[in-house]
Amino acid sequence: MSAGASAPRSATRVLAARYRDGLLGDPGGLLLLLGQAPLIGWLCTVVWGSIERDTPALYFVLCLAAVWFGCINACREIVKERAILERERLFGLSTRDYVVSKALVLAGLGAVQVVLLQGTVEWQLSLRGPMPVEMLALFGASLAGTGLGLVVSALATTQERAVFAVPLLLLPQILFSELAIPDTLYSDVVAAAEKAMPVHWAFRVFEESASVEPSWLSVTLSLGVLFAMGLALVGAATLAALPRREVVT
Amino acid sequence: MKKLFPVVLVLAALLGGYLAVAHLSGAAFSTLGLPLGGDRGLLRRIALDFMEDIQFKDFEAAASYHAPDLIESVDIPFLIQRLFQVKPEALDIMDYEIVFADIDSSDLRARVKVRVRAKLLLNERIEEREFVLYFDRDDPSSPWYMKLEDSLRELTPDQGRAH
Repeated sequence: MSAGASAPRSATRVLAARYRDGLLGDPGGLLLLLGQAPLIGWLCTVVWGSIERDTPALYFVLCLAAVWFGCINACREIVKERAILERERLFGLSTRDYVVSKALVLAGLGAVQVVLLQGTVEWQLSLRGPMPVEMLALFGASLAGTGLGLVVSALATTQERAVFAVPLLLLPQILFSELAIPDTLYSDVVAAAEKAMPVHWAFRVFEESASVEPSWLSVTLSLGVLFAMGLALVGAATLAALPRREVVT
Repeated sequence: MKKLFPVVLVLAALLGGYLAVAHLSGAAFSTLGLPLGGDRGLLRRIALDFMEDIQFKDFEAAASYHAPDLIESVDIPFLIQRLFQVKPEALDIMDYEIVFADIDSSDLRARVKVRVRAKLLLNERIEEREFVLYFDRDDPSSPWYMKLEDSLRELTPDQGRAH
C-alpha cells in the first residue's frame, strides 16, 4: 500500500525536477518570464504614483497581471512536449503526474512573479490592506491562470495556437468585471459569468481587505474559491491531456 | 549536520537579500526592527512614532518632533480636529501606516504620506484619512524636524495681495 502510494509522488517529484532543471537551463527565457513582473509593477507605480494613492483599478490591474503571468507561463508547456508525453505514456507515465509536476513548478515560478510584482508596487506606494493577504490573492490568481494555461496547452495542437488563445482567456476577465460596467447594472448572465472569473475573486480579496471595515470571512471565502478554481483547472488540464494524440515531429 | 548547513546558508542568504531590499527601498518593507532604510527609513520611523504619540494622546511627545524653538507653539489637538472634524477625545485612532516617504533633490526637505484609520466615538463610524507630514533640516548631517506647525497656523489673508 505504502509503496503504491509513494510511487506516483516520486514520479511527480522526478518529473518536476526534470522540468525545473529545464527551466533553469534556459536562464534567458527564465529572466524574460520573471522580468515582466517588476516591469508591470513599475508601470503601475508610474501611473498610480502620479496620484500618490492606490485605487480599485490598481488592484484590478494587479489581479489581471497575475492571471496573465500564470496563463503565459503555462500555455506552451504541454503542447511543446506533446511528442515526449505521448512516447513516455507508452512506457507507463501517468498523465496526472505529468500535469501536476508542471503545475508545481509553474506555481513556484508564479509565486516569485507575484512577489516581484507586488514588491515593486509596494516599494513606491503602500497599498491598503495587509500585504501577505494580497500576495496570497495574487498567488491564487496566478495559480488559476496556470490552470487555464495548462488546459489550453493540453487542448492546443501547436504552440502558436496556444499563445493565440491566451487573449481569449484574459478578455472575459475584463469584460465580466466592474471595470466594464458597474455591478448594479449586471444582468443575471453577466453576474454569473463574473463569478467564473479568477480575477473577480482576487479583486474581491483586495477590495475587502482594503476596505475601512474588512470582512475577513469574505476574504477567506474568496481565497478559498480562488485556490479551488486553480486546483479544478489543473484537474481539467489533466483530463484534457488524457486523449492520446498522434504527433508528427 | 552536513544537510543542515546548506539549508541554513540558503535561509541566511534569503534573509540577507530581504534586508538589503528593505534597506534600498527606504524601509518600504518591514526591516524587522533594524534601523535600515537610510534617511527615508528614519523619516518613516519618526512619522510612525509621531502617530503612536497621537494615538495615545501624548501631545507633548508628538510636538517634540518639531524644531526646538517651535515645540511650545505646536497645536496637535487642532490638527486632529481639523483632519477629522471632531475633538481629539472623541476620536480613537485604530491604525496607521506610511504610504510613502519622499526626499527632494536638495536632500533637505522631505514628506511622508500617512494613512490613518480612526473610529469617531460619537457615532461609532470608522473613517480613513490620508495626510502628508513635511520635514526639513539645515544640512544633510542635521536631524530632521517636522514642519507640522506651518500647516497648523490659522490662515490669515495677506493684506499686501489681492484676493
